[in-house]
Amino acid sequence: MTIIIGAILVVIFLLLLFTFQVRVSEIAVVTTFGKPEQPSIDKPGLYFKWPWPIQHVYKFDKRIQNFEDRFSESLTADNNNLIVTAYVGWRISDAAAFYPKFPGGSIATAQQMLENMVRAAKNAVVASNSLSDFVNADPSQLKFDEIESNMMQLVQSDLDSNNYGMKLEFLGLKKIEFPESVSQAVFDRMKANRQKLIDSLSSQGAAQALEITSAADSQAAKTIANANAEAIRIRAEGEAQAALILPTFEQNPQLANFMFRIDALKQSVNKNSTMIFDERQPPFDLFQSLPTNSVPNP
Amino acid sequence: MSDHEHSHHGHAHDHEHAAPEVQDAGTQALAEALRSSFFIVKIVMLLMVVAFFGSGFFTVGASERAVILRFGKPVGEGDKALLGPGWHWSFPYPIDEIVRIPITAQQSVQSTVGWYFTTQAQELSGEELPAGGTLNPAIDGYLITADHDIVHSRATLYYHVADPIAYTFNFSNAELTVQNALNNALLYTAARFTADDILLNRQTEFKEAVQKRATDLTDQESLGIVVDQCEVQSIPPRQLAAVFAQVLETREQSASAISHAQSQATNAWLNAEARANTLTNQAAVDSANYVSFVKADADHFNKLLPQYRTNAALFAEQQINLAMAEMLTNAGDKWFIPQHADGKSGELRLQLNPEPPEPPQAPAGQ
Repeated sequence: MTIIIGAILVVIFLLLLFTFQVRVSEIAVVTTFGKPEQPSIDKPGLYFKWPWPIQHVYKFDKRIQNFEDRFSESLTADNNNLIVTAYVGWRISDAAAFYPKFPGGSIATAQQMLENMVRAAKNAVVASNSLSDFVNADPSQLKFDEIESNMMQLVQSDLDSNNYGMKLEFLGLKKIEFPESVSQAVFDRMKANRQKLIDSLSSQGAAQALEITSAADSQAAKTIANANAEAIRIRAEGEAQAALILPTFEQNPQLANFMFRIDALKQSVNKNSTMIFDERQPPFDLFQSLPTNSVPNP
Repeated sequence: MSDHEHSHHGHAHDHEHAAPEVQDAGTQALAEALRSSFFIVKIVMLLMVVAFFGSGFFTVGASERAVILRFGKPVGEGDKALLGPGWHWSFPYPIDEIVRIPITAQQSVQSTVGWYFTTQAQELSGEELPAGGTLNPAIDGYLITADHDIVHSRATLYYHVADPIAYTFNFSNAELTVQNALNNALLYTAARFTADDILLNRQTEFKEAVQKRATDLTDQESLGIVVDQCEVQSIPPRQLAAVFAQVLETREQSASAISHAQSQATNAWLNAEARANTLTNQAAVDSANYVSFVKADADHFNKLLPQYRTNAALFAEQQINLAMAEMLTNAGDKWFIPQHADGKSGELRLQLNPEPPEPPQAPAGQ
């Protein structure tokens, strides 16, 4: 029992002495008498090493690090001053190359160096594009993604050529602004444009309202005209239908004519009519034969 | 053999004969002590072994998941690597290492790169600093739009972590990475929309475009999150609040005028339709009446014709008198002018279209 426990302790001691672990979020480099062994170890697991002072293991965080550069002013190809800020996602891709470049493998020191590279790339790319490449309502002319991609390529190329053991995972623009003095001019322009818009909206509204009402009036007039035409057609149809009956009256045109005139007379008198008669007109001529109306003989 | 060795052996020989009982008892006591010590050591070592393996028990809370790293490598892949709430066991360190990952139903990040300088306290109390004449890029944020205007926008992105292993082990600060994606989404989307579209005409489209860009970026960066929702608030620069308010007011007035005109137009159409229907209906009624009237006349004619043929003069006299009676009944006024005694007819004078009397003029000075 004692031997087993002792053996376990010895095994544990030897494991601690001769092995090391690399976590899933780490990248490691083994140095032999101070010289880095290639390649770096970026896969998690248990690895063998010779004990100190023969070999030494340096481990680094291989997760993506966030870095944002400080805003700086750059001149575009069409002479607009822009203040651009970029953010970067980067990771240590080669620990063997990374750790000798930066004292103690310091990420902060690496990011100071990265800031200079990002600023240089930013200035170069901004200078080769006009303002309308950054902002444009036409998607085919907008080069936003291309600008970011170009900046990233420049920085990555710089990192690769210096063998810093760093890899950019992404680079994006975080802020694009005008210098403070320009914002006043933009406000003036925006104000003038809005004033024009107010005038335009006002007149457009009135014009559109007038257009709507006149179109409606026109349509209404057309509808009434069509209805009148239809009414005439309907009446004509009725008259044509009535005309088929006219032969009946041809049996005796005198009687027909007499009847029509009698009807016309009847229809011409209503409660607003005033009729004036004297004794000669029937049936008032009956009054002539009455004694009260005769002139007394002297 | 040296003198010393000889002397030593001689001395030992003396002891063997002098105190054999004392030596046996001492040895025994020592052996006993050693045995006891070894026993205690064994127990201690056993307890240490038990404690070593017992320390491998751990619990996972309801709002977290755990991943076991065995020699630094996750045990299992994908969702299988995640240990849910409850008791679990793993080999103690340095074989295994437990990494706890907080899981909340929904997380959120806010982007204020497009917002002017303010604090939450100032905003809540309504005591924000008054807008200056310009915007200072060092402290004030804003977005440049496609028409080179300036607007303020801020956004909140709601998401949940779908792949906690990628979210935890691939990023030193995943939340900041999500926030930067949202910052970029606001900047990129504003660059494609005009100020009026962002503020007035296409607010929903703008919000959806921001969410899409943020989703695309987080997918490209393999953050292991699912975007649930994005809220965007946009306002014009405070320096131009008055003129933008005037635009809105004019727009409202214009819309109101158009709406009123549309209402009038609808009424006009309805009236015209009604009038047209009346006209055609009236025509149909008139037409039907006319045909009926003519038919009735024809029937009447057929009935009267025999009487007329019998005595036309008498028939005419009868009809005229009947018509006269009817007309006298219908007429409002009937005037009978009798003959004067001298046989002359009476005279009636009518004033037609008399001019209306002039109104009396007010006296001057009143």
